[in-house]
This record gives sequence, C-alpha cells and structure tokens, in this order.
Amino acid sequence: MFDVQTLLILIPVLPLAAALATAALGTRLLRGRSHVPVVTAIALSFVASILLVFQLQERIDERAAQPGSSRAAGVEEVVARWSWINVPDAMPHPVDGRAETPGWGNFNIEVSLRADPLTAVMLAMVTCISMLVAIYSIGYMRGDPGYWRFFAYVGLFVFSMTMLVSASNFLLLYVFWELVGLCSYLLIGFWYERPAAAAAGKKAFLVNRIGDVGFVLGIFLIWTTFGTLDFGGVFQSVGQHAGDWRVTAICLLLLLGACGKSAQFPLHVWLPDAMEGPTPVSALIHAATMVTAGVYMIARCTPLFAAAPDAQYAVALIGGITALLGAVIAITQTDLKRILAYSTISHLGYMFVALGTGTLLGITAGMFHLITHAFFKALLFLGAGSVMHAAGGVIDIRRLGGLRRRLPVTYWTFLAGCLSIVGVVPLAGFWSKDAILLSLHDRSGLFGGGLFEILYLTTLLGVVLIDFYMFRPLFLVFHGQEKIPPEAGDHLHESPGSMTAPLVVLAFGSVVVGAYFEWTHGFAHFLSFTPSFECLAQSGHAAIDTADKWRVATIGSVLTAIGIAAAAMLYLGSGKAVARLARAMNVFGLYSLSYGKFFFDPIYNVLVVWPLLSVARLAAWFDCMAIDSLVDRCGRIPKLAGAALRPAQNGLVQFYALAMVFGVLVLLGIMLM
Amino acid sequence: MHPEIALLNDFLLVGAALFGVGLIGFVSRRNMIVMFLSVEIMLQGVSLSLAAWGRFHNDFGGQTLVLFIIAVAACEAAIALALILTLFHRRCSLDIAAWHFLREANQPPFRDVPLPEEPAERREPWPRLPPAGVRPETFGEKDKYRPRV
Amino acid sequence: MTNHQHILTLAVLLGAVGLWLMLPRGGARGRAVGTVLGIVALGLWFSQFHGLGQWTADGMFFVLAAIAVVAAVGAVTSRNPVYCAIWFGLSLLGTAGLLLLAGAQFIAVATVLVYAGAILVMFLFVLMVAQPEGKASCDQMSWEAGVSAAAGIAMVGVLSVAIGGILAPSCPAMPPIAPPTQEELAAGVLDPHQVARLGDELFGRRLIAVEVAGTLLLAALVGAAVIVNQFSGRRHDGQQKTV
Repeated sequence: MFDVQTLLILIPVLPLAAALATAALGTRLLRGRSHVPVVTAIALSFVASILLVFQLQERIDERAAQPGSSRAAGVEEVVARWSWINVPDAMPHPVDGRAETPGWGNFNIEVSLRADPLTAVMLAMVTCISMLVAIYSIGYMRGDPGYWRFFAYVGLFVFSMTMLVSASNFLLLYVFWELVGLCSYLLIGFWYERPAAAAAGKKAFLVNRIGDVGFVLGIFLIWTTFGTLDFGGVFQSVGQHAGDWRVTAICLLLLLGACGKSAQFPLHVWLPDAMEGPTPVSALIHAATMVTAGVYMIARCTPLFAAAPDAQYAVALIGGITALLGAVIAITQTDLKRILAYSTISHLGYMFVALGTGTLLGITAGMFHLITHAFFKALLFLGAGSVMHAAGGVIDIRRLGGLRRRLPVTYWTFLAGCLSIVGVVPLAGFWSKDAILLSLHDRSGLFGGGLFEILYLTTLLGVVLIDFYMFRPLFLVFHGQEKIPPEAGDHLHESPGSMTAPLVVLAFGSVVVGAYFEWTHGFAHFLSFTPSFECLAQSGHAAIDTADKWRVATIGSVLTAIGIAAAAMLYLGSGKAVARLARAMNVFGLYSLSYGKFFFDPIYNVLVVWPLLSVARLAAWFDCMAIDSLVDRCGRIPKLAGAALRPAQNGLVQFYALAMVFGVLVLLGIMLM
Repeated sequence: MHPEIALLNDFLLVGAALFGVGLIGFVSRRNMIVMFLSVEIMLQGVSLSLAAWGRFHNDFGGQTLVLFIIAVAACEAAIALALILTLFHRRCSLDIAAWHFLREANQPPFRDVPLPEEPAERREPWPRLPPAGVRPETFGEKDKYRPRV
Repeated sequence: MTNHQHILTLAVLLGAVGLWLMLPRGGARGRAVGTVLGIVALGLWFSQFHGLGQWTADGMFFVLAAIAVVAAVGAVTSRNPVYCAIWFGLSLLGTAGLLLLAGAQFIAVATVLVYAGAILVMFLFVLMVAQPEGKASCDQMSWEAGVSAAAGIAMVGVLSVAIGGILAPSCPAMPPIAPPTQEELAAGVLDPHQVARLGDELFGRRLIAVEVAGTLLLAALVGAAVIVNQFSGRRHDGQQKTV
C-alpha cells in the first residue's frame, strides 16, 4: 500500500504537522490534551518506519536471491521533491588536475530524502524511542504550564531528527543538524525561568557551535574538493582522492562537528549540564537520539573516513579517551542524571571507538551499540525521571535510599536497564558490547593495530568501571536503608501508568533486542546493504575466528561479573569501604579529579571564557568610552549650535522683522555690487 | 534726461521713502495697530512705484497690480484687526512685547525700559457754578476732575 | 563716489539721526532737533530729484511727495496712536495725489476710498475699542529706535542708489527701453477714457485674477468672522466663560 517514497515523506512530515498544530492550538484549544496530536503523529511515524524497514528488507532479500550478486551493491532509494538551491556552474573546474565528479560545480541542493538500511535503522530507533518518551511525558509533564510547548518542541525535534537521518546531502544534513541543536537548546532551557536551565541551554548551544564550525568548514572543503554536496556523488568519487590531504582534513573537521553533537572529548562539557532540562528530554535527546547524530554522521561518511586512515585513528582515539573519561567521572558523581549523562558520554565514546576501527564489523558494532544503548539509556533516564517524580524532584543519590519497595516497577525496570548496560549475558548490552570488543580485537590484528590493542584494553577497563558507576546509584537509591527526602512529602508513590508502561516496554527492549538481532544475524546483514558501506565490503576484513569470539565474550562477561560483585561488596555494605577506597584513590588525586570532572569547566573558563570575556569587556569599554563618547560629542554639536542660535528666538516680533530687513539689505547690497 | 525717466525716478524715490519710513515704524513701534499702519505705509510705497512703472511702460498692468494690492490690503486689514482684537482680549494690551513669552525656553525675557516719570497732570476742577435751577446729579469721586478726551 | 552719492549718504545719516530723535523714547527730548534734522535730510534727499530743475512745472509733484513722506514720518513717530492714524490719513491723501499725477485716476480714488474710507476708520474703531484712553506705555517707548531707524534709512538709501543705478543710461542690468512719447501715453495710460480702459483690462485680460481677488476678499471676511468668534467665548485668562 505504501511505497518507500511515501513512507519516507510521511515519517518526518507527520510530527512536523503535529508540532505546528500543537503550537497553533496548544494555548487555547488543546491545553491538557496537547500530547494527543504529537503522540499520535510519532506513533504513526514509528509504524511507517517499521514498514520502511520491512520494505527495504524485502528488497534486500530480492537482491540476495539474485544469483551472482553477493552483497556488492547497496539498497537505496532517494526521493527528491523540491530543488532548494540550484546554481549551475557555481565553481570553476580545478586547475591542478584533480579528478572531477560528474556534475562538478553544480550547486544543486535538493530537499532529497534517502532510504537505505542505515537510515531505516536510525528512523526506526528514533521514532520508537520518541514515541515511548512522548507517552512517558504525558504523565511526567502533566500540570506543567508549558505542557503544549513541550509537545510542540518534541514534535519539532522528531521532525528534525528524522530529516537529519534521512537527508541525502551534506547541506540538508547540516540544516537539520542545526535544527536538532535548536530543539535541544529549547528543551534544555524549557524551564527558562530557572537560571541554571537557561545557562545550561546557552552552554550547550555555544559548545555545539564550536563543533558546528568544524562541520560547516568540512562541508565547504567537501564542496571545493568534490564539487558536489550530494552523498552519492561524494562517496562515489572519494576513491579517486585516496591519500589526498583534503580528505583527511574533511574527516577531521567532520569529526569536530560530531564531537560537538555527540559530546566527545574535548567538547563533552555541555551534556552533563543539559540535564537541567526535563527528564524525558534528557532521555530522548541527550541520551538516545540527538547525541547519536554524530555517530550517525561518521557512519554515514564511512567512505570518506575509509579514505583517510589517520582520521579514523583520531576517531578511535577520541572515542577511547571519552569512554574512559566519562566512566571515571561517572563513578564519583552524586546526581543521578549526571551519572547517566557521563555514562552516555562514555558509551558514545565506545561507539566512536567502534567506528574508528573502520571495518564493517566495527561500524556494524557501533550502530548496534547505538540501537541497544538507545533502549537501555532511555530506560535508565526515564527510570531516573520516575524516581525524581516520586521523590519530589530530588535526584541526589545520597539523599535517597531503599526505594525498592515503594517503586517496584521503576526498580525492576531500572535493574533491567543496569544489567543490560553493564553487559550481562544475554541482555542487549552484552551483545553490542561484545561486538565492539570483538571488532577491536579483530582490528588489532590488522595494520596499525597497536592503537586498537590499547583501546581494546581500555574498553575492558571500562567494562569494569561501568559496573561501579551503574550499580552505585542502583544500590544507593533502591537498596539499603529507606531514605525519603522531605521534598517528597508523604505521597511517595509509583508513577502513573503512562509513565510505567514505556518503562516496561523499554525494559523488554533492553533485554531482548540485542539477542534478537544477534541470533537472527538480521541487523548486521541488513546494515551491510547500506551503500555507504560498500567500500568496506570491497576492502574485506579478517575472518572472525569462533575461538576469538568465545574468548572475547568470556573475558567481557567475567570482567562484568567481577565488577558487579565488587560494586555490590562496596555499595551494599557500610559506607566505610567506599570512603577508604576514595581516600586511597585520592593519594594520587584520582578521586578529586573524578569528582571535579577533571576540572574541564574551570580550565575552559580560564582558557576560553575569561579571555573572551576580557576581550568583550575591553570592546565594550572601548565602545562606551571611545565610540559612544565620540557619538555623544557629535550629538552635542547641534545642541551647541542651537544654543548659539537660540537667543534669536526672543519672542519679539520686531526683532524678527529687523532680522528680515537686514537680510534684505544684505541681498540688495550684493545685487548692487 | 528724458522727462519720463525723470518722473519715474522721482516716483520710485518717493515710493522707496514711504517704504523705508513704514519699515522703521513696523520695526520700532510696539503698538500693534501702529505696526499695522506702518505696513500700510510700506504698501503705499510699493503701490506708488508700481503705478509709476506702469506709466513708464505705458501699460495698465501696473495699475491692475495696485488694485490687487488694495484688495489684498483690505483682506489683510480685516484679518489682522480680528487677530489684534483677539490678542488684545488675551492680554488686555496692544503692546506686541506682551507676547514675548512665546520666545524660546530659557531665554532672557524682554526688559522694558522704565518710562521716565511724567509730570502729574493738572486736573482742572469743574467750574463752580452759582446755585441755580435744579442741583445736577453727581457721581461721587468720578466727577471731581475732568476726564481726558 | 560721485557727488550725488555723497549727498545721499549725508542725507541718509541725517535722516537716521533725525528719525531716531523723533521716535518716542520715553520723553520729548530732542524731538524738535530731530524734526529739523529730518527736514534737512529730506531737503538734501529731494535735491537728488532729477525734476528739480522744472520746479515750477512740476511743483505739484514735490508738494504732494513732501506731504506723503512727511505725513508718513509723522504717522510713524507720533506717540499717540490716534495721531498716527490721522497722519497716515494725510499720507494717504498725498499718495493719492501722486497717483493722480502718475495718471492713475481710478487707483487714486480707490486708494482714498478703501484706505481712508474703510481701513483707516477700522483702525480708529479698533483703537477706540482697545485703547480708549489714548496713550499707552507701549506707545511711549520704541523698541530699539536707533537700530530700526538706521535699518530703515539704510533701506531708503540703498533703494535710492539702486534706483539711480538702474535708471542711469549706462545701466547694464536693464535693456534699453525707449520711454514712451506723449502721443503714445495719450493713446495708452493717459487716455482720456482711461478708467474705461482699465475696466477693459481688468475684466478682460485679468478676469480670473479679479475673480480670485474677490474670492480672497470673501475668504478674509469669513476668516475674520471666525477668528473673532472663536475667541470671543474666552476670557483674558484663557478660561471658558461660564454662563
């Protein structure tokens, strides 16, 4: 009934229409029912996304059934409905004899959407999580004066995000990249009357701006290098530019953009502050969907990165640093949402590491982790939101305790999320983490594998650390002595059904989605038909040894088990062991470093903010003292002239007449001369 | 010199003199009516010049223009006198300097030079008449002296 | 500087001083001297008239001119506005005579009728309404008598020089115009039926202008009525009269 093209257009348009309708009617007509259009539209989008996945699967099956074609050509469908900008021959041909793409220099930007497996996966994930979070928000945001505004923003965000992942050229990608940034800004600062929220929104926007500058410069460089901005054109001709410094520069600039959006070191500082927004927003935008835009972008640009191995190392290195950094910081934080934020940073780091391997295995692993992470991180955030909802907004884990019996649904789903994220067999996290480890292990056997050997070990360390930082809040909040903050009042109760239902669904997803994908081999197979990944298929990769597979899985599981046991020992017992450990760590200053988040904010303050502020103050002073005073002085000239002439207006008719007579006399005199 | 040119010259000079004298009156006198009267004198000077030029050019245009000047002067008199009356009602004075408060703000006001003391007028008493006939009705203080014209 | 310019300069200076002395300045001091000086200046100035040689032939002109100018001076310098008006009336009569001399019979009569008969009477009427007691302090004191006399007399001087220059045969600014002969004048401006000719001119060539002038008179009439009515309801202090 629905072909691919219709579905592809429906998916973004429905949430946009809902958002516009909510924005237009929210204040008067909808009010408390503002969620209806948005939730409906996102649900329809989700259905459309699933249909799209099935349609693509059908085509893949057809392709695979054809004799003689292994998986050489990808499956894609591009819909171009409208030419946005069309400037033929916008750029002269290169003089240094570089290869030219067909259609070189035609600045033809079409609003074109593409359907390929990568996009379909992203669309399904985004709409699924968005739908669940939107349903959750019905309960969570109930009674908020900005209820309609929230849903309008969410609708706009879903539109932007679906457009982002289905955009088919770099400029369109950039437009929606910025639009999701705007939605993020709006939703972080949703409670704009709180100074912290407003400041956090501003910080997110400004830090993202640094990354976006890199991104846009990368786009410029793509334009001058390839003469086109279309994905297809660029990726087809990238092979002719192998070894060109421009491709490496493009990749590094794109990486900068991805770092900004996906909160990678050193631009990760905005994400923890973004938790000032409503918790569903944190779950949707700052855990599951928007922050993965950077990962998606790098996966999409795989042909470019494949042509620039140095850039791939950079991706992996930054991912590794971020993964470890996020994990270390998360261990000592006390704010539940911030712990989850640092955990997100860390996991995004894993995805980057996986993408950095540059093998089909690695990229599939990264995307796989992206999907599973979306489920369990959204689940954890929504669980945290449920705790917050119950505890009257308190989120400090030291002030909560023993909520297991009071919030049974939240507890069990949170536990499922925790087990999944740390990678307990056979939950989703295990499979994706295992895939990443395996890809790293696999990559370390190829050329330049030293770095990946280190990253492999780092990731293993992370596997232990994650147990600590995920089970610490679980144990502190839900186990032990019951601690209820006074803000909760006496009505500490489980959240309403609209909130717990998404939790349960997400928990189910967190548990089974990994195993389902892994056992059916559907995910990797499906994804491998993405046109962007064709180049990987041609380069080939080392065959995976089954023994290697088992070894990696065993090491990972054992480390996880050890970590959980240690965490249980530490946090379920008295606080003394923790304190002793903290003291011991502090001998090397590790604890302070972690607790102070490695002092990125103060360092940036000194290095970036203060110099800029000083320059701004200097400029303001100069403006005030020099330019303004000059203007003021110029403004005084007419005043003085007026003061000089004012005595002429003395109110005596005769004086005026006399002045006229003298004027006539002078004129007559001149004429007589 | 040609007599017609001489005549024109003389007329123009008289016109100039009337114009100048009227100008002096307009500039120096403070009574609004006298100022207005001075303007009429200036108009007379102009009318004279126009009539003379009309004669010099042997054309009726000059006289026609003088007629229009007369018409405009009549209009002007009507409007100006109406305005003067209105102004007089506001200030109870024909002194144009009474309106100097319309000057620009923060400007020094017009300072009237103080008039020298006029010698007190000698008031001639009513003549005393011998009582005869009916005693005339008197009005107290008012008829102690003879009022001015 | 030619001789006549010297004489004119002297006349102008004397005239200015004399007029300054004659203008009311808070007392009667120097008025006699000012009058004398003014007469001397007037005499000097008259001496520049080209027609002086034909004194007997054109004696009437000089008498009338003297009446007009002297009466104008009197109108300007009188301390009592009523006298001002009467002097003005005399000046008007002089002017009307001059106009008659120039051959403008109708204008002369119209001037007397309109000015002396209507406007002057209106002046007096307003004066009687506004200032029935005659003198007011503002009439005793001129505003900057010296400066204004200097300015006015300078104007007369400059205009005289200008007239002399323009009518000189060598003036480059004026194209040479042949003055009309007596025959031409008799057929033109000095036609015995010149009033009829003027009427032809007015209601022929200038008809539209005449109509416009009539409209202007009507507008002035309405305007004057409106202005007086508009403020008649207000008192001196600007407040509405309560009935």
